[in-house]
Amino acid sequence: MGIQPPSFERDLTLGELLAGIPPLRLDAALKALLGGEFRLLSRSGDVLLGVPQALTGTVRVAVNHDLEALGWLEALASKEETQAAATLLELLCHQGARYHMASDLHMEVVQANYETLQTQYAALQKSEARYRELSQQLEERVRQQVEVIETAQRQLYQAEKMASVGQLAAGVAHEINNPIGFIHSNLSTARGYVDRLNTLAPTIRNHAPLAAIWKQSDMDFMIEDFRALLTESLEGTARVTRIVADLKGFSSVDRAEDDAVDLNECLRSICNVSQAQVSPLANVILDLGELPSLRCKVSGLNQVFLSLLLNAAQSMDAHGEIRIRSRHAKNEIHIEFTDTGRGIAPEVISRIFDPFFTTRDVGQGTGLGLTVSRDVVTAQGGSITVQSEPGKGSVFTVVLPASTNE
Amino acid sequence: MADIDEMNRKMTFKLVYYGPAMSGKTTNLMRLHDLLAPELKGDILTLETQNDRTLFFDLLPLGFRTPTDWLVKLKLYTVPGQVVHDATRKAVLSRADGLVFVADSQRTQSVNNSESFQNLEENTRRVGLDFDSLPLVVQFNKRDLPQILTEEEVRSRWAQAPWPLTFATALTGSGVRETFVKLLEQVYSYADQQLSLSETHGMSQASFVLAVAGS
Repeated sequence: MGIQPPSFERDLTLGELLAGIPPLRLDAALKALLGGEFRLLSRSGDVLLGVPQALTGTVRVAVNHDLEALGWLEALASKEETQAAATLLELLCHQGARYHMASDLHMEVVQANYETLQTQYAALQKSEARYRELSQQLEERVRQQVEVIETAQRQLYQAEKMASVGQLAAGVAHEINNPIGFIHSNLSTARGYVDRLNTLAPTIRNHAPLAAIWKQSDMDFMIEDFRALLTESLEGTARVTRIVADLKGFSSVDRAEDDAVDLNECLRSICNVSQAQVSPLANVILDLGELPSLRCKVSGLNQVFLSLLLNAAQSMDAHGEIRIRSRHAKNEIHIEFTDTGRGIAPEVISRIFDPFFTTRDVGQGTGLGLTVSRDVVTAQGGSITVQSEPGKGSVFTVVLPASTNE
Repeated sequence: MADIDEMNRKMTFKLVYYGPAMSGKTTNLMRLHDLLAPELKGDILTLETQNDRTLFFDLLPLGFRTPTDWLVKLKLYTVPGQVVHDATRKAVLSRADGLVFVADSQRTQSVNNSESFQNLEENTRRVGLDFDSLPLVVQFNKRDLPQILTEEEVRSRWAQAPWPLTFATALTGSGVRETFVKLLEQVYSYADQQLSLSETHGMSQASFVLAVAGS
């Protein structure tokens, strides 16, 4: 609050009212006016001006201000002269009062204004603090919204990618299935023909001139090899058929969104699809336990498993081993990808799920694989974790809640 | 409540003339100085003015002695009417024992009057006074000008208000004394309840008014 100034209304003493006037000059002027010694006394009897001791034979006149006697003037002059000098002092008091009251009131007003300003300042500070807090909340909300939008974008990006892969796969599958069908059929027929040709062999061998030519042409080997060639080719067409089917299944273009699937089937299918990329780098060992069928977005999970498998393969410095293990326990499905690759450095491991974080060369990876994987698994109500030891390899574990209604 | 000084046997009443700028508060005080003949009358103390407008306040001290030889002082103050001097107005208003609200009768001043009256009510509460019980007289000044509200209009507008209404032309002095007497009557009633003026000091309302305002 500060110092409380004196009220402008307080009663002023004679000393205060004359304080602004140099005492020596007032003393000299009064002495001249009164023609000799005098005394100016306050109401309480203190000598303010003039000789200190009481004079004998003096005239005593009140000095009034604000309706009251504030003091007395004693002089050796006449009554009229003393009264005139007292009136002069009263006029001086009047001016002194003007000065005191104005300055005291001014002080009061300044003090009041200052206090008002202090109050306003405190209120402003309070509201500023509130606005700062609001702005922080706003920033936090913006950050959350940005996160939501980014996640949605990544999923959209992924979905688009899968949709185009799916369309392509569907087209290719359709185009390939027709020729493969008639190639398979033709090869089967041709193998039948070879078998029928082979039934002629004993007859020809018993016919001397023909037997010589037969033998010369090594027809026995030829027919046997011919059959083997056709059998291999038939196996080849079967493999092509299966790969086309897996590709369709992987992109799941012809599957409903939330479908009940056996994740083991997905894992097998992914191994088939990625065999060409993975087998030069590592052996894949499947260790699949009994799983309940799971209602899920198949294409997303397929993408997760493929990312994990390809990451594992690409982590190999030398030809290594990838073990895919699936288990069902406590109403949860655990799928582990264990590799013998180079592992992940500790300073990097906390960032591998961050968007656009990649350790690969520019153009080799988007840095979105694990981010999207985590998004997909989280959307399914599950989690994805990693353990790694540099030089020994990594273990990625996907945990999904098993559907309760299945 | 009046300021009581038992030691010096003195009681001081603070009476404040309030109202919008240029409504004639200082003129009221100057006329009172001329019209009244109490036992004790000081000079008007006029603090700084700017272009004839009050910056701080004007002060007119009046006084008399009771039969019990107490000094009764009445300090009449004006406030600066201009809106910007609100802090000064509040300082002068504090500890007031009675109020005269000087309104400007001109039709063009109605808004200023009501704003100033609202300001009076707010400031009274802010300085810790009870506006509802504080002695107050409302004076409509400048009755000599054209384009003024008629007395009937003023009376009908203020019909619901509890305060006495007076009409004045401070320039000529008409109505100034009547306003002040109405205030003195209220101030006496209010103070009598608290200070028992009649019993302790032998002062009736009539003798109180007579001592200050003369006959």
